[in-house]
Amino acid sequence: MKEIKELNLPEDLHYTKDHEWVRIKGDIAIVGISDYAQDQLGDIVYVEMPEVGDEFGQGEEFGTLESVKAVSEIYLPLAGEIVEVNEALADAPELVNKDPYENWIVRIRPSDLLELDALLTIDEYLDLLNG
Amino acid sequence: MGNVVRKTVLHAWHQAHGANMAVFASYDMPLWYPTGARGEHLAVLTRAGIFDTSHMAILTVRGKAARTLLQHCFSKDLDACGGPGRNPLAAGRCVYGVFLDGKGHVLDDAIVYQVTEDLYMVVVNAGMGAAVAAHLEINKQDADTIISDLTDRVGKMDIQGPASARILKKILRDPDEILPKMAYFSFRGWFGGPEAGPVLLLDGTSVMVSRTGYTGEFGFELYVDIARTASVWESVLAAGREFGLIPCGLAARDSLRAGAVLPLSHQDIGHWPFAHNPWLFALAWDETGTGFTKDFIGASALLQCKEQEYTLPFAGYDPRKINACEDSWVLDGSGVRIGSILTCTTDMAIGRVDGTIVSIATSEADGKTGDFNPKGLCCGFVKVNRPLAAGENIILTDGKRRITVEVREDIRPGRSARRAMSRML
Repeated sequence: MKEIKELNLPEDLHYTKDHEWVRIKGDIAIVGISDYAQDQLGDIVYVEMPEVGDEFGQGEEFGTLESVKAVSEIYLPLAGEIVEVNEALADAPELVNKDPYENWIVRIRPSDLLELDALLTIDEYLDLLNG
Repeated sequence: MGNVVRKTVLHAWHQAHGANMAVFASYDMPLWYPTGARGEHLAVLTRAGIFDTSHMAILTVRGKAARTLLQHCFSKDLDACGGPGRNPLAAGRCVYGVFLDGKGHVLDDAIVYQVTEDLYMVVVNAGMGAAVAAHLEINKQDADTIISDLTDRVGKMDIQGPASARILKKILRDPDEILPKMAYFSFRGWFGGPEAGPVLLLDGTSVMVSRTGYTGEFGFELYVDIARTASVWESVLAAGREFGLIPCGLAARDSLRAGAVLPLSHQDIGHWPFAHNPWLFALAWDETGTGFTKDFIGASALLQCKEQEYTLPFAGYDPRKINACEDSWVLDGSGVRIGSILTCTTDMAIGRVDGTIVSIATSEADGKTGDFNPKGLCCGFVKVNRPLAAGENIILTDGKRRITVEVREDIRPGRSARRAMSRML
């Protein structure tokens, strides 16, 4: 188990209390799970993805991650439409364990970037992890 | 004591080696090490793994009436349990069975070891030592029968996987005398005290070596004095390095045992009748298969059991799971709710080739393709309200997701637990 100081938590991301991250790139948002989440889940053996074109609200469940331990829901940090799913994870779900930032889960077209205000900054996320 | 989290003597080692820890049966135990549960599961099928199992409870039953007491309480007939010949349990042999209450419900499952004519060792699950000891105590007829709980005085570790014997051979003082004749469910030696047997490690540690395990794979369980546990653990790791042995946690232990169709006590068997399940070989059946060769606590309840609940193994078609919990259940093919999920995990060493389940340990002659690289299959046990034939599909659901799984007689093929020792040295 990684100590909090050992976690890779990029400073330029927005985080959620459910341990997803989001990166804004133009009018697209890229979504994945944090290093803390992948470390806690352990080996990920399956990623259940939404369909391109599906729409979800902020905080709504859009898929599941199956680790050896359990099935965990993943929640969309921002409302929006799925524009791409990371197909590489279908064959190699363990990529999420290897690098949870390089290996994003979905790209979405967010419907309201003001929703970013409800997400956590790196400092707020660290506070959450430190309990 | 109820809320105290306990630690095995190897706890600091697990933490220092990056284990992801969690509390299981009130012990803080490693779930997996940095290799990860998938790599640990695969190591046990292809090389070897070592598990800290010192959390398990160890009792001894001693005295002239020890066997009589166990015959009254334990589900196997110690006088007729050894293989097709129904040989009596003898010194150096052990047997799997269950302790039942008067209703035929499971108190715990156990392995009973006959050490000498009047000394037996009973290994039960973590946290169950006191309950099983109390159960034996109230049922004993002879005041001279002594029941002792040695859990905190004995360290236990399991070496499992095809390289296990070659690893053990490196650390035993006289391996050629001990290993070649060692049959499945036999043991040698003792872990200390006046009965200390002739089995020693190179460093002089007395060890009890049992050819048993909880993975379905070839291997051993080692019992040593608690003070020697850490040094023996290090010796095994050092001897196993050249064979690719790695430490393994409870997650791999769980996925390995589920694929091997072995029950987890208090999850797959428990406070319901021990009937209609895959583990009825643990009972003292007579040759007709309709009665028992002896009377024991719970026997008459089982023979009169009207229970209509059936525990069945299943395997899915991909790794997807449904968490086994109060909020998940089982549907039949037409969508009718028929029961609950007891265990649902992923056996990461298996996949389907044209519908047939194949393991990474399967030979190519038996259907493994050259490029076989399994993603794993969901598997475990359900308890349903009707008998279902192997091959029937059922649906597991948590109300949102539904996955189709197949009722199975067996899950992971090609298991090595019973393989002849001559092939493993």
